[in-house]
Amino acid sequence: MATVEFNHIKKSYGSVEAIRDFNLSVDDGDFCVFVGPSGCGKSTALKMLAGLEATTSGTIQIGGRDVTELGPGNRDIAMVFQNYALYPHMTVRKNIGFGLKMRGMPGNEINAKVEDAAKILELTNYLDRKPKALSGGQRQRVALGRAIVREPSAFLMDEPLSNLDAKLRVQTRAEIVNLQKRLGVTTIYVTHDQTEALTMASKIVVMRDGMIQQIGTSHELFTHPRNIFVAGFIGSPGMNFFRGPVELDAGQPVTRFGGHLVRLPAATAALAGTDAVFGIRPEHIQLTTSPINVGLRLVESLGTEKILHFQIPKGQSLTNTEADFGPDDQDRDVQSMLIRVIDDHIYQEGQSVSLLFPQDKIHVFDPATHAAIG
Amino acid sequence: MQRSKLGQIGIYTAVIVTVVLLLFPIYWMTITALSPANQLRSFPPVFFPEEPQWGVFSELLATQPFALWLKNTILIAVATMILALSVSILAAYALSRYRLRGGATIGMFILTSKMLPATLLVIPFFAIFKQMGLVGSLWSVVITQSTLIVPFCTWMLKGYFDTIPEELEHAALVDGCSPFATIFRIVLPVAAPGLAATALYAFVISWSDFLFARTFLQTSESQWTLNMGIAALKGEYITDWNVIMAASLMASIPILLVFLVLERFLVGGLASGAEK
Ligand SMILES: Nc1ncnc2c1ncn2[C@@H]1O[C@H](COP(=O)(O)OP(=O)(O)OP(=O)(O)O)[C@@H](O)[C@H]1O
Ligand SMILES: [Mg+2]
Repeated sequence: MATVEFNHIKKSYGSVEAIRDFNLSVDDGDFCVFVGPSGCGKSTALKMLAGLEATTSGTIQIGGRDVTELGPGNRDIAMVFQNYALYPHMTVRKNIGFGLKMRGMPGNEINAKVEDAAKILELTNYLDRKPKALSGGQRQRVALGRAIVREPSAFLMDEPLSNLDAKLRVQTRAEIVNLQKRLGVTTIYVTHDQTEALTMASKIVVMRDGMIQQIGTSHELFTHPRNIFVAGFIGSPGMNFFRGPVELDAGQPVTRFGGHLVRLPAATAALAGTDAVFGIRPEHIQLTTSPINVGLRLVESLGTEKILHFQIPKGQSLTNTEADFGPDDQDRDVQSMLIRVIDDHIYQEGQSVSLLFPQDKIHVFDPATHAAIG
Repeated sequence: MQRSKLGQIGIYTAVIVTVVLLLFPIYWMTITALSPANQLRSFPPVFFPEEPQWGVFSELLATQPFALWLKNTILIAVATMILALSVSILAAYALSRYRLRGGATIGMFILTSKMLPATLLVIPFFAIFKQMGLVGSLWSVVITQSTLIVPFCTWMLKGYFDTIPEELEHAALVDGCSPFATIFRIVLPVAAPGLAATALYAFVISWSDFLFARTFLQTSESQWTLNMGIAALKGEYITDWNVIMAASLMASIPILLVFLVLERFLVGGLASGAEK
C-alpha cells in the first residue's frame, strides 16, 4: 500500500510526444482512473508507472521511493492487462502463483495463498485448468487473482473490462471496486469508458493528447469542468455548447439564444461586451413555458428516458474542431443541442417545445482558450 | 446434407491419393530390399516378393559398420540441431522484439545466404577447415550445416515469436521474471510448436547431408555417416540394390522416431487462450 507520484513525466517516441509534463499524486488507497479518448496516452502513462516503458524525463515515486530507474519486477506492483495475458502453458494455479514463485516463496506457502485468492474470486474449481478452457469472465478473474495474490503496493489495470460483454462488465466493475475497497490497495485504472471512470473512481484524471486536462472526483468533473473538452467528454450525452455575446440587462449579465434573452450566472457580468461559449447539460434544460421555442429535429426514446434534438440558432454553434471530443464521440453534431428528459410524455419529431436554461446551470468558457470562467 | 456427403467423399479421395503417392516410394524401397537380387529387374514388376529375403538386414549389419555410421549421423544431427537452435532462438527473438534500425532489412539479408548454392561454399569451407585442422572431424559438418540452417531457422522462429503477444512478457516481467528468464519460461514454452517444427527441420536437413560429409570426412572412415556408407555400397560393376534399399530403410527409421517424439508439440495450439 502506497502513494504514487508522477513528477514532470515526459515520453516521446521519436518526434511523437505521447506524454507531456504529466504531474499527478495519488493517495494511499485511492482508486484513480485515467480516462480520455483513444491515443491520448493513458496506456503509455501506466506502462511507465509499471516500468515497462522508459520515461523520457521526469521521476516516478511509489510509496515515497523513487522507482524511475527500477525494472518492473522491483517496483512492487501488479498489473492486469486488457487481453489478460495469462500464461497459456500454465494451469490457473501456476498462473496465479507465478509471481510468488519468481520471488522465491516456498511451494506450500504459494499454494495456500493461491487457494485463498481463488476462494475470493470463486476460481477454486478451475485451479487445475489451462486458460484455454475458461470463459472470458473466468480468465479475467484469473488475471485479477494473479494481481491480488502478490499483495503489491499498487494495482495497475489497463482496460481490464473491455473484452467482456456489457452485462458481465457491469457486474465485474462492481466486483473490482469491492475488492479494491476490501484490500485497500492503491489502484491506477485505465479506461476510455467514462461510465467506468465515473462509477469506479475516487479520483479521475481526464487526459487528451498526452496532457492532463483535469483531476477530480466525478462530482467535481461534472459540476466544475475546467474546460470545454472535459465538459463535453464527461456526461452521456456530454454538455451542449453554443456561443453568444455577453450583455447587461438592468445590470444583470445575459446572452441571446436566437434573439431571446438568457440569464447568465452573476459572476459573468465582468465579461460584458465580449463573446463567450456557453454550456448546459442535456438533463438541465427545462421544458417549461418560456419565450424560447424550438422545433424537435429528432426524438430518441429509450423507454421513459428520451433524448430530444433541436437546432442551435444560426451563427451560434461551435465548429467541429472546437468541439472535438475524440474518436469515441464522432456522432456529435455541433449544429444540434440535446435535451434529456425522463417523463411519460410522448414527443413527436417536428413538434415545437419551449425551453428554459436555468441560470445556475449555465457554464461559461473562454472562446479562445476554452478554459472555464468563474 | 447431400452436398456435405459428396464433399466428404471428395476429401477422403484426396487424402487417400496423397497418402498413396507419399507412401509408394517407401513401399517400393521395402519390396526392393526384400526381393532376391535376380528378381529386381523382372518385368512385369513383382509387387510382393514370393519369398521375402529377411536375411538382407542381418547380412548388412554383419558386413558393414552400420552402427558406427548411425552413431556419427546422430551426433552430427543432434549437435547441428542444438547449435543452430541456440543461435537462431536468440537471433529470432531480437529480430521479433527489438525495433532495430533496419531490422526488416537484416531479416531479409540473412535469408539471402540461403540462396547461395551449397556447392559454391564447399571449397572455401574446405580451405578453412584444412587450416583449422577440422577436416575429418564431425565438427566440420556440424558447423557447415549450422551456418546454412541458422538463417532459415531464425526466419521460421521469428514468425512464431511475432504471434506471441508482448503483454505476455510484460506480465512475466511485472511478476518478477528477468528479461532473459522470460524467454525460457514464457516465450519458448508458448512457441513450442514452432520450436518443434524448427528443430525437426534442422534435424532432417543435417541427417540427410551428403555433400559436406563426403567432402570433409571421406578420408577418415571412422567418421563416415549413414549416407556415405550407403553410397559406398554402390559397387563399381555390380550394385546390390536390395542391400542399398535395406540400408536406406534402416537409415530413415530414426527420422520417424524423432517425428513421433516431436509430433505432440507440433500439433499444439498453445498460444490460443493467452488472450481474452
Ligand atoms: N511504440 C510506440 N511508438 C510510437 N508511438 C507510440 C508507441 N506507443 C504508443 N505510441 C503513440 O503514443 C500515443 C499514446 O498511445 P497510448 O497507447 O498510450 O494511447 P491510449 O490512451 O492507451 O489509447 P487507447 O485508448 O486506444 O488504448 C499514441 O498517439 C500512439 O500512437
Ligand atoms: Mg491503451
